[in-house]
Amino acid sequence: MLVGGISASTQLFSHLWQTVLPTYLVNTLWLGLLVVLLALFFGVISAAIITQTNVFFKQQLRWLLLLPMAMPAYLVAYLYTDLFDYAGPVQRMLRSTFTWNSPADYWFFDIRTLPGASVMLALVLFPYIYMLSRGAFEQQDENLFRASRLLGLSAKKSFFKIALPLARPAIAVAASLVLMETLADFATVQYFAVNTLTTVIYDTWLGYGDIGAANALASILMLLILFAVLAEQRSRAGLRHQSNRPNLNKELIQLSLSQQIMASLFCWSLVVSGFLLPLALLINMALEYSDVEQLTGLLSIGINSLKMSVIAATIAVFIALILGLYQRLHSDKYAKIPQQISGFGYAIPGTVLAMAMLSTLGPLDHWLNDSAEFLGFTPPGLLLSGTIFAVVFALVVRFSAIANGTIISGIKQIPHSLDYAPATLGAKLNRSLIKVHLPLLKPAIVMAWLLVFVEAMKELPAVLILRPFNFETLSSKIYQLISDEMLEQGALGAILIVLFGLLPIVMLNKSEKKI
Amino acid sequence: MTSLVTSTQDDTSILLTIEKLSIKLQDKVILSSLDLRLNEGDILGLVGASGCGKTTLLNTIAGFVKVNEGTITLDGRILNSKLANNKDEINLPAEQRQVGMIFQDYALFPHLTVKENIAFGIAKLSKAKQTQQIDQLLHILKLTDYRDSYIHQLSGGQQQRVAIARALAPKPKLLLLDEPFSNIDARLRNELMVEIRLLLKEFKTTAIFVTHNKDEVFTFADKMAVMSQGQLLQFDQPSIVCQQPNSYQVADFLQLGSWLPCAVTTSLNTILATSLLGEFELASESAAAQQALTYLLVKPSQLILTTDLAENIIANAQVEYISMTEQGYHYHLQSLDTLPTDPPTQASHLAFTKLSLYSDNILNLKQKVRLDIKQENLLFFNKSMA
Repeated sequence: MLVGGISASTQLFSHLWQTVLPTYLVNTLWLGLLVVLLALFFGVISAAIITQTNVFFKQQLRWLLLLPMAMPAYLVAYLYTDLFDYAGPVQRMLRSTFTWNSPADYWFFDIRTLPGASVMLALVLFPYIYMLSRGAFEQQDENLFRASRLLGLSAKKSFFKIALPLARPAIAVAASLVLMETLADFATVQYFAVNTLTTVIYDTWLGYGDIGAANALASILMLLILFAVLAEQRSRAGLRHQSNRPNLNKELIQLSLSQQIMASLFCWSLVVSGFLLPLALLINMALEYSDVEQLTGLLSIGINSLKMSVIAATIAVFIALILGLYQRLHSDKYAKIPQQISGFGYAIPGTVLAMAMLSTLGPLDHWLNDSAEFLGFTPPGLLLSGTIFAVVFALVVRFSAIANGTIISGIKQIPHSLDYAPATLGAKLNRSLIKVHLPLLKPAIVMAWLLVFVEAMKELPAVLILRPFNFETLSSKIYQLISDEMLEQGALGAILIVLFGLLPIVMLNKSEKKI
Repeated sequence: MTSLVTSTQDDTSILLTIEKLSIKLQDKVILSSLDLRLNEGDILGLVGASGCGKTTLLNTIAGFVKVNEGTITLDGRILNSKLANNKDEINLPAEQRQVGMIFQDYALFPHLTVKENIAFGIAKLSKAKQTQQIDQLLHILKLTDYRDSYIHQLSGGQQQRVAIARALAPKPKLLLLDEPFSNIDARLRNELMVEIRLLLKEFKTTAIFVTHNKDEVFTFADKMAVMSQGQLLQFDQPSIVCQQPNSYQVADFLQLGSWLPCAVTTSLNTILATSLLGEFELASESAAAQQALTYLLVKPSQLILTTDLAENIIANAQVEYISMTEQGYHYHLQSLDTLPTDPPTQASHLAFTKLSLYSDNILNLKQKVRLDIKQENLLFFNKSMA
């Protein structure tokens, strides 16, 4: 694809380059920067409040702050546009309260802008930063803070001098994940008419049918992504191992009453604006507009979504298990490679991945049909690129990294002695895998499956481009309804996506409590 | 300077005073009404079984544990003051106490270099002053070559020296050390202890260090405190504690010898302690004389072994366990004929099972021998807490 992109010298591409492309590129960069900064602001501060202070509702906020992760950004974007539009309830209320008549009478922020899109994305992406920095803060050795305090620094100063610098690698990993997600976002920016590289790739392909130019654009996007991936890997290398038995008895910073209220409000506003309010708006919509006919329509679409996500999740977990166990049982340095390669898929935006699939599966299909004809069979049609196969394949490639990561960390929990113990008891390898490793990996398998399942349910651009004709999923349907400003028709489906998205978070929270 | 004995006992040089200190954590009494006075310049070794409250005591002095009752005064400054049933409380934050600490895992800042770690506590000084002080510490602790290294690039011993330099840089009034030698290779440990002791003396630093290894106290400390169940059992020079332990618990924890049960009887005007290894006279005013059963602390050096049994030399013990040590063979000896029972009966309550004996003689398992006890400096203790 990259080669195709570079060699593409279509007129459209050079036209794009001379006209709008620089703007799109700048938009993309601005969007990435703003979202990362905002998400850092939301995520690091809330993680610090939860781990370091005696804030009100700490136990509840601890997991509530994860919930926005279940909200697709495009839904939030649509719902807030609905809310803050000229015709929306907020501005209507303002007009009636202050007897303003036209937009000329007052100023109101426009949400459908680049900063608006950044806020929407940051509201649902900050939990990545919250989660990873919370983990980093919680794992820090309390003795480091005690040492710092005995050397004369107050608890607050110690946070800035010790906790924050030590959490920096974890925060950087999270920030690069957020950057990848932002660069991959398609629906939010599309809906806000903020032109970025993903939207222009999509338009070039669907609007102009120019796959060469689209590939070229995708290559530019991939260069940006590559930067995020490198940043992520550099940060991971910086994750230092701490003392083997860190003292985890945190001494909390005691906030004054007003500080406690402020801190609590900060966290609650994130939970409300990133999750509770959008969900309430959706439920309200569903209650007002849904009817039986709509429900049955959504049902068949929902089944499509389920089918697709179940297959993708199962295959991804299966592959992750094979790769993970292979790596565990073969300790040579090359055993890691397949897994590292598959990990790269997550960084590829759905749009780009779909383009790559089309450019490889399409010719493959043609070749298959030609060969079938040559051999005297009826041509099977677009067996690969025109069926659910392409969608599932793309989903597996894209989300393998998630399954791998989860399975690998599960495997790491199994002591190495258990690899050898069954053999000393006369059990063969396959029996020990089935009787020992798989049962121990059950929580990791379930978690990996759920995570891929949810991501597959939410994934939009890859599905949009690769789905067979007349094949709708919940996300593609909702996207269409959003584009047509008719989300009311699909509010139930949207709630369903959100509810499914909650499953892994609930499970994560539960397994954490067990430890 | 290396002498283990310091004799400054006058009140004018007392640096740390702890009075009636009580700590409860989650409704569990950790320290109960503990008193302690430490002279300026002294190094105190705090020993006790795990869970006896020694680390809590350190953390309380450092300001990390809430005091339920009691006062802590350091160099005339009140660090903690809390009276029962009184809401007024002084609890100086850790950063204002001028107390330094060396943690078991050193707690060095992994994101800072050696130099930056040492500079951490003296950031308020001028740059020139800082550099001068850091250079001096690096020189004394032989770390000059590692000035710009990160912590993970150093060996365990070097890391510990950085921890010491960092703790000493702000010139704390009192230095606390939490099992500082437990992570150090046994071979290096002694050398390091001597080295650090010299250093602390050079800086005239008053220090308290916690350990569960009594040998470390002998090498490192001027004073020794034995703790058990949140209280100080004995506080004195290490040599005195060992020669004259004040209770069964102290002698038992320090493993100063093995225990020989004795029945207390009065015949004519003398009070006798009768054991399976002979009779000993008790002073009538001693605590042991008030009990029916008392225990004699038998130090290995007090045992006289006779292996050539003759008609008039009757065996009274047999060998139950043999091991090899650097002090020769180590034997556990058990009383002959009478064996201990649970619960003890009239017949078995004087039986002994694990009398420790070190000897260069080669004995066989189950060999019968004759044991006698030198009748000098005998120490009797009652098992129940005084």
